[in-house]
Amino acid sequence: MTAWTEPTRRSLLATGAAGAALLASPGLLRAQAPAVKLGILQPVTGALAQDGEYGRIGAQLAIDEINKAGGIKSLGGAMIEMVFGDARSNPEAGSQEVEKMHAEGVSAIVGGFASPICLAASQAASRYDIAYAVDVGVSDQIVSRGLKNTFRFGPGFGTVTRTAIENLVKLNDAAGKPAKTVVLVHEDGLFGSGLAKLMNERLSALGFQILETIAHPTPARDMSNVALRIRALNPDLVIPSSYYGEFVLLARTLQQQRIRPKGIYAVLNGAASNFRFVREFPDAANNVMDCNHWADPRKPKTAELRKQVEAMGRFWLYNVPLNYSSVRLVADAIDRAGSRDRVKIIEAMASSTFADHIMPYGPTKFENGQNVNAAPVNTQVQGGDIKVIFPDTFADAKPVFPVTG
Amino acid sequence: MKAYRSLLVVIAALAALPLAVPLLVGAGLFAGPNTFYNLMIFILIITLAAQGWNIAGGYGGQFSFGHAAFFGTGAYVQAVLQTRYGVNAWVALPLAALLGGLVGAAIGTLAFRARLRGSYFALVTLAFAEVFRILANATPITGGAAGTLVPLKIGLGQMQFASSTTFFYLALTFVAAVLLLNRALERSRFGAWLVAVRENEDAARALGVDTLKVKLKAITLSAAITAVAGALYTQKFLYIDANIAYGAWISVEALLAPIVGGIGTVLGPFIGAVALIGLGEAAKTAIHAVFGSAVPGVDLVVYGVLLIVVIAFAPRGLLGLFGKFDLFARFGIFGKRGGR
Repeated sequence: MTAWTEPTRRSLLATGAAGAALLASPGLLRAQAPAVKLGILQPVTGALAQDGEYGRIGAQLAIDEINKAGGIKSLGGAMIEMVFGDARSNPEAGSQEVEKMHAEGVSAIVGGFASPICLAASQAASRYDIAYAVDVGVSDQIVSRGLKNTFRFGPGFGTVTRTAIENLVKLNDAAGKPAKTVVLVHEDGLFGSGLAKLMNERLSALGFQILETIAHPTPARDMSNVALRIRALNPDLVIPSSYYGEFVLLARTLQQQRIRPKGIYAVLNGAASNFRFVREFPDAANNVMDCNHWADPRKPKTAELRKQVEAMGRFWLYNVPLNYSSVRLVADAIDRAGSRDRVKIIEAMASSTFADHIMPYGPTKFENGQNVNAAPVNTQVQGGDIKVIFPDTFADAKPVFPVTG
Repeated sequence: MKAYRSLLVVIAALAALPLAVPLLVGAGLFAGPNTFYNLMIFILIITLAAQGWNIAGGYGGQFSFGHAAFFGTGAYVQAVLQTRYGVNAWVALPLAALLGGLVGAAIGTLAFRARLRGSYFALVTLAFAEVFRILANATPITGGAAGTLVPLKIGLGQMQFASSTTFFYLALTFVAAVLLLNRALERSRFGAWLVAVRENEDAARALGVDTLKVKLKAITLSAAITAVAGALYTQKFLYIDANIAYGAWISVEALLAPIVGGIGTVLGPFIGAVALIGLGEAAKTAIHAVFGSAVPGVDLVVYGVLLIVVIAFAPRGLLGLFGKFDLFARFGIFGKRGGR
């Protein structure tokens, strides 16, 4: 029990001043619109922790920026509140986090990173009509299930491989067709195996000679045998499709053993367009090409965001711009829906023509949940930087191909 | 009947759990009812896989490190029969158990005829699971590395339910059936032979037990039960790939749950699964409440430390701990343990 004490002159003055200040600021008195909860799902522990962490950074930067600019306008300046879930690099944890997010009342969910997590999580979200924006997950099964709530902002596997093959042919033709023989190196999971199969079919039809297709598991501790095999076959082109660790190992082994094909042309590679690889192993990384997700270098916001990420002591990985853009896409849909109602948000997502993102896609257009304007770009490591070499419309460097010396 | 009474009490308590859900949610332990059901369904699926392991590993002493081979076979049969051959999910489930059992019998025949025991048997099962994983990853019928996706069609006929409670009861039905089966097994001649094989295989053989036959029967039954867990996983998540179905994670879960809960006991796998998965989830929720999402992975550290503590203080599993303090044994709640 608190004893009642006579108000002193000082306390009376203080209360009066506080009251006056409150009355003088009606803007502050007006109730702040309740926050819009946005689920951010990323695998920040387990095998995919690096990617998950970068995805989270991208989402966080977008949310901070939206909030700083006054929140969701149509909802009275409601702030976006992040409800974060760790998918622990497996689909069960991913769907369990979706259940939690639903219970916490999120309006939409962004993320997932890996295809299996995206598949399970978007399906769990569909039960509650929660709009789910896939950030990376490239498996084309994600958008082929007829789920009304699932949207993928970035390109899927089919689009990436088609573009990669088209650009490879363009690259080779422009250089006077120096590459005739190819060795495919791939990890034995979803990316690698599917890609190797497609490459085998398409490249043979286009006149390339596939000397050998070498599969390796993930994780692999040693790539010397793969490198030795490449030396023996002496191909013009090496096309690797692996995760970070394995590709770094392969590139370093090739460099150490002085195996120098005319080009290394990676597709959806975990390392070839990763600044960590470029900084840590600049010689091994030099001139490696990749066809992957990449932010649009023409947009001023890209450089600004990159600076922010680097100021945090982090590398510039594609997860950041993809998640940044996906969060902004969802925020735009919520703004247009003018409501926290999940079904209305799904409808707004489906009709989205969002262009204020930093990927090289143009305005979004969703067909069966897939952004049909999404496209990958070709990059090449040149002089310690990652440059865009295709498409020509916004390439900031000419391709170095064939690599000599 | 007396021997089953205590189990029936446990099963009835589990079946009545949904009544407690509003209280648990109200107390802030779970974010919502479905968060609870989702967790419970996963615990029950792991329990089923662990119950399977417990028959060969716990009662029979045949420590398998490769129960993923059976879990994965069940999961893939359930998925592939539905997606490629249009078989109904309810028909696919017994077939998944059957094929899982056959794989168990095949691996068992090869390993036991070669007289592999102890760590050699463990290594061979591990190798088999890896071979299955690589094959599933490379074969077109399993969808290769892209995995197999069962189309989402909610309906009783498709074994896909709008309400999580229904799936909870489906999984509980299987777990309960295996609990009763385990108790029957403990009390049967076959169960006694199995324990005899575990305790001293040579002595059992000398006493006239056909050890090969007993071990084969055990691993076949064990595999079939674990395969049902795989099939339920498919129905719950509707997507599997080689790493989910045949990955080492499930081999570890299947053996860790009985070891933590109480090896060679009827309730051990369930207690272990609740402790392991519940502990993991509790650590995650608690750390999240304290630190937010700022420090990913701390919950796993806490989980690891708790696991070490459990194993240090309860080397015979959590049920062994209860027995030590004579808490439940006095009331005969958990019945007799399987002879160890």
